[in-house]
Amino acid sequence: MEILRVESLSKTYGEGETRVVALRDVSFSVSKGEFVLVVGPSGSGKTTLLNLIGALDTPTSGRVFIDGRDIFTMKEEELSVFRRRNIGFVFQAYNLVPELNVEENIILPLLLDYKKPDRQYIDELLDLLGLSDRKRHLPNQLSGGQQQRVAIGRALASRPAIILADEPTGNLDSKNSREIVNLMKLSVEKYKQTLIMITHNPNFAALADRIFNVEDGIVTELGG
Amino acid sequence: MRNYLVLVPKYLAAHKKRTDLAIISVALSVALVTGIFSMLDVFLRFEKIQVIHDYGNYHLLIKDASAQEMQAIASRIDVEEAGRWIELGQASINGVRCAVGALDENLADNLNIKVIAGKYPSAENEIMLEQWAVESHRLNVKINDTVRISSPDNVEREFKVSGIYNDLANMKAKAVPGVLMSIDGTAMVKPEAELSYIILFKRGVKILNAEKEIKDTLKIADGRIERNERLLAVIGQSKHKAAVGIYTTGAILFLIVLIAGVMMIYNTFNISVMERVRQFGLLRCIGASRDQIRKLVQREGLAITLRAIPIGVVSGIIVAFVCSAILKFYNSSLFAGMPLFNISVSGIGAGIATGFLTVFIASFLPARKAAMVSPINAVTGSGDIKISRRKKRGLLTKVFRAEIAMGINNAVMKKKTLFLMSCSIAISIILFLGFQVFVDFMHASMKTTKPYTPDISLTSEQGISDNLYKKLSNMDGVKKAYGRRFAYVEAAFDAARLTEAYEKQVGEIKIQDNGLFVPHENSWLISYDRNQLNWAKRDLIDGTLDEDKLNARNGIIAVMTNVRKGVTINTVNLQLGDKVYIKTPAGTRELTVMGRLRSVPFNDSRLNLATFIVTEKLFTELAGESPYQIIDIQLKKRNQEQTVKEIKGMLDSSITLHDARQKNAELDQAFLTMAVFIYGFVMVIALISILNIINTMNTSVASKTRYLGVMRAVGMSGGQMDKMVLAEAATYSLTGCLAGCVLGVMLQRALIADWLSSFRIVWRFPLAQIILIWILTLLVTALSVISPLKRIKARGISEVIGSL
Repeated sequence: MEILRVESLSKTYGEGETRVVALRDVSFSVSKGEFVLVVGPSGSGKTTLLNLIGALDTPTSGRVFIDGRDIFTMKEEELSVFRRRNIGFVFQAYNLVPELNVEENIILPLLLDYKKPDRQYIDELLDLLGLSDRKRHLPNQLSGGQQQRVAIGRALASRPAIILADEPTGNLDSKNSREIVNLMKLSVEKYKQTLIMITHNPNFAALADRIFNVEDGIVTELGG
Repeated sequence: MRNYLVLVPKYLAAHKKRTDLAIISVALSVALVTGIFSMLDVFLRFEKIQVIHDYGNYHLLIKDASAQEMQAIASRIDVEEAGRWIELGQASINGVRCAVGALDENLADNLNIKVIAGKYPSAENEIMLEQWAVESHRLNVKINDTVRISSPDNVEREFKVSGIYNDLANMKAKAVPGVLMSIDGTAMVKPEAELSYIILFKRGVKILNAEKEIKDTLKIADGRIERNERLLAVIGQSKHKAAVGIYTTGAILFLIVLIAGVMMIYNTFNISVMERVRQFGLLRCIGASRDQIRKLVQREGLAITLRAIPIGVVSGIIVAFVCSAILKFYNSSLFAGMPLFNISVSGIGAGIATGFLTVFIASFLPARKAAMVSPINAVTGSGDIKISRRKKRGLLTKVFRAEIAMGINNAVMKKKTLFLMSCSIAISIILFLGFQVFVDFMHASMKTTKPYTPDISLTSEQGISDNLYKKLSNMDGVKKAYGRRFAYVEAAFDAARLTEAYEKQVGEIKIQDNGLFVPHENSWLISYDRNQLNWAKRDLIDGTLDEDKLNARNGIIAVMTNVRKGVTINTVNLQLGDKVYIKTPAGTRELTVMGRLRSVPFNDSRLNLATFIVTEKLFTELAGESPYQIIDIQLKKRNQEQTVKEIKGMLDSSITLHDARQKNAELDQAFLTMAVFIYGFVMVIALISILNIINTMNTSVASKTRYLGVMRAVGMSGGQMDKMVLAEAATYSLTGCLAGCVLGVMLQRALIADWLSSFRIVWRFPLAQIILIWILTLLVTALSVISPLKRIKARGISEVIGSL
């Protein structure tokens, strides 16, 4: 079942001489439950692609359908509701809310959706992420790997259809990195979610269902 | 790049918005200080002219000065001008009551006496008259006419009118002509008359020291020296209790203005440093020393100050300019000598000094904090904020929705920011409330004209005929004419309603079996027509002033204050519904108190038990038919002189015409001179406070750009973000408001009780002001976050998160 479809997506930044084409006419589709890896050299347009899929940015042209809905036709309010229910983000810099503790950071998307968190699910999540005994800690009391696990927890909390991760292991050592990626794979399998992840680490290729290579704004599928 | 400090202008240029906000903040504080201090400076210059006009241009007055004393004082090097003033008191000129005095010609100008026609009296038999008196229907004389003046001992002498001088407002309103004769002339009329020696010192003389010297060397007793306290107060040389009170109040408030300036700048710098912890960490990573970071921050402060100070100084000057312009516009003759642009060196100096000093202090602490930033903060993403205390959370989310709880949480968690933001708002409120005491002071110490103030009053002992009253009412140039009758009646009521203060004054009071007392004194009964009842509404404590109701139910209005021997006291404590029994020729009438007034705009020289007001109909029933004793007239704006002339033509010599127009105008003028500045102070403070709140909120929101981006990525909608930011801003405002109101009210009370009590200002809880403050602050807060939020929303989320 198709969960994501990208149609002739293009993005250019700037005007005139400073004009940079970040993405050129990109089209692909992803099915539910797939683990997609996005690779490519720095500045090739990976992050732009992910930002556009997550509607954090607007394209110059083209469309993105998530679960059959054209996300760029939605109004801002509608889009934020759609985003918090259907898309989970994991950033390289974690971007946790420093004033909130681990548990609060994780349930934040639910609170923003005015939902009562499912205690059992959250405990399960904390357990899965190995944060059960850290749930009252603040982000600055955690290690980088732990912080990233909190970010993953936050992305999974609302059981979104798609998780977008932009170099989630970029700040971590290889042991922690492997743990994080395994964890993500485990959880998407468990909760039947789709994961699209940018990485520079070639070792993760084996874990992925599909690999997209981005170069000069052009997306090609490797080994497909 | 030659030097690492080149980073400063580069950074400032790259973050234009942020830099602008900081510049605005410093400029606002500088404008506040420059504006307020310049206004004070210019105010004192204007007020000096006003005081000289109202009270005369002299410093000391020595009563009963002997020839040697005058000689000794006149030869002092620090005396600019000195001369004699002799007051002869009441006399009559051609049968009209007048006041006679004599003044050395060299002092005429200092006491605002200007010869309009003829010459100053110099010979023994020469006198000078006020212009209005010369033209009065009862006097009607010309220059070189001979007039007869009879002194109190009833000896009549002939004098020649040598000149005419300007009208003196008070004399004109009292309808008592002022007659000036030569000093030699007084010896003829009353050789033993009291002589006062009037002294004006040179500029820069320490007057109180000079006074002491004169007193010591000439052995002059304390009671013989009088000071022109108002003038001394304006030039800052008074030690009078009232003046010291004003000085202290001013000093305290102006100190708070300085503190406010420091607070405002410090707050901005603190926010700006807090949001850049990562940048500083980064610089530390690449090898910047703590010292270098500190220098960087301080240099940044300097760069901002240099740009902000000119803006602030110019705005401050403009404020003072607006005040001068208003005053010059309203009274171009009195303030003709004042330049439109009053450059106040002290104001500008204070502004610049505060600007530099504050930025130095304000950037010193944040700079130290910036220097303390650990390099690790640059690489770990979320170590920006140090959280000092774990607190029980979750409660907020139970009461509020998530976004509101987060907003409040954001504000409460960062205690220092909360403290500074609240302080910044609170100090503005404290200032606003503090400066309000000057408004109270102004209203308590200066008389103003009221809607019922007449332009012209006609009085007559014999009474004024109804016919004349009707003619006056129907005149073209008359806006309103309203007559009053009064009578003295014996009124009794429940003895319990007499106050202790009254009992103390009159001693034993006999009480009858029925609880009524036997009145010692008469009460003053005044008739009011519909107009006057209407005007009295502003003094109504409770009850009604409806003419028909008063007539229908035998209503009487009790006035709660009474002037006895020149002092206002409460003699009675009547309540609505109390019965008052008034003796009339036809027996005792029972009336019911249906309204209570705080005061009436006139008083009586007799000692009365109480003052009562009744309708004209009831007055006739109680006191019988009687003519009006007073007719007050308000004139239309146009052709006033013509109307006054016509009125004069209708009067016979039993009626006195009191022309209060000049007095009213001068009262209004004196009030305006002060009001322009005092309201100016309050308005400048209110305006700066509002701009400060807007700027602070702007800065605060701008510093959260990235954080808000993350929240949106996590799924916060635009509406939720608005609510969260608003909740945070409201938390700052509300704590600031609360602290400001509590401290401001305390300051107000302290200032009034400790320093301004000599002006009989009574402190009241400033409810209306506080409600205004709360509404304004919340409104401004809400408005101030709108535009930065809009700006953030207009930017893409990825763009915002991507920025360091």
